[in-house]
Amino acid sequence: MTRIKRGYIAGKRRRKIRLFTSSFRGAHSRLTRTITQQKIKALVSANRDRDRKKRGFRSLWIHRINAIIGKNKKKQYNRYSNLLYNIYKGQLLLNRKIVAQMGILKGNCLRMIANEIIT
Amino acid sequence: MASAAAASLSTICTSFATHCSISHHNPKTPFSHSTFFPFSRSHSLSLSFQPTLSPRLPLPPKSSDTAEALSEPQAPPSDPQSATQLVQSPPLQPPSWEPGLFAVVMVGGRQYIVHPGRWITVQRLKGAKANDKIALHRVLLVGTDTSCYIGRPVVTNAVVYATVEEQGLDDKVIVFKYKKKKKYRRTIGHRQPNTRIRINSIMGYENYPKVTMDDIKDQEDRDS
Repeated sequence: MTRIKRGYIAGKRRRKIRLFTSSFRGAHSRLTRTITQQKIKALVSANRDRDRKKRGFRSLWIHRINAIIGKNKKKQYNRYSNLLYNIYKGQLLLNRKIVAQMGILKGNCLRMIANEIIT
Repeated sequence: MASAAAASLSTICTSFATHCSISHHNPKTPFSHSTFFPFSRSHSLSLSFQPTLSPRLPLPPKSSDTAEALSEPQAPPSDPQSATQLVQSPPLQPPSWEPGLFAVVMVGGRQYIVHPGRWITVQRLKGAKANDKIALHRVLLVGTDTSCYIGRPVVTNAVVYATVEEQGLDDKVIVFKYKKKKKYRRTIGHRQPNTRIRINSIMGYENYPKVTMDDIKDQEDRDS
């Protein structure tokens, strides 16, 4: 068999991984074997958190709606659960993202909706 | 409508697929556009913006004031501009709609708050080419500074007119599947196709029952 030196084949592969990990902290961006592991962990986390992101935002919107509704109304119906119940009863199709954003940006509109819907 | 609530809601929530595309080729007149910020969820935006200066065609079947108001601003650009005036675009009057007009529109299974003159990115609309006109019919809410037209579930006869600007792709997302200690890893790159549309106008909501801030004030006076 002819003698084959490995040259820079492995180095090319590792350079790409090192570029991906270039902003990581400490040894995680310097040591080759650690770099490979950290890239895998990073990508796995990114995958998993793309689904978590959807859950997180929904939770954020719900908390925001709860806060805004609780502040505005002096009546007893000042909770998120009541607002949502009345939204479904009144056959509105607005989702939580829109309601939360309207509460922040167009507060008047949300007050009008809440007033109109909550019996 | 009330009797078939559950069934109608489920059918309405399915993906939206109708748009009418009238493809005209706009002669691109060089207006200077101010930058428009797309709506992004969960970030608070500053709402200061200038209405769109993009050229629009008069819509033939709809007799709307906005179409006629636009025909006057189209005239000045044709005057020969002197070479010294660099990017002095002729001052267009913003088309007259109520201040703070916005609509909540459902496109591609997602809801967006939409202002006339801004652009949004939606899921890819199949078969739409650049500069196609689009009418979005699923308008869930129309609002202004003082009043609000709440759709149950849709504001009837309200339409949002938009123009397709670009059919593009989202940024690449690397989907990495990995099982530890089992020597299984797969790398897939994915770019989700999207369409950028610019909202032209929101029309057709005038005859719908609306709620105003005065109603709230009256009720609060009555309660307290």
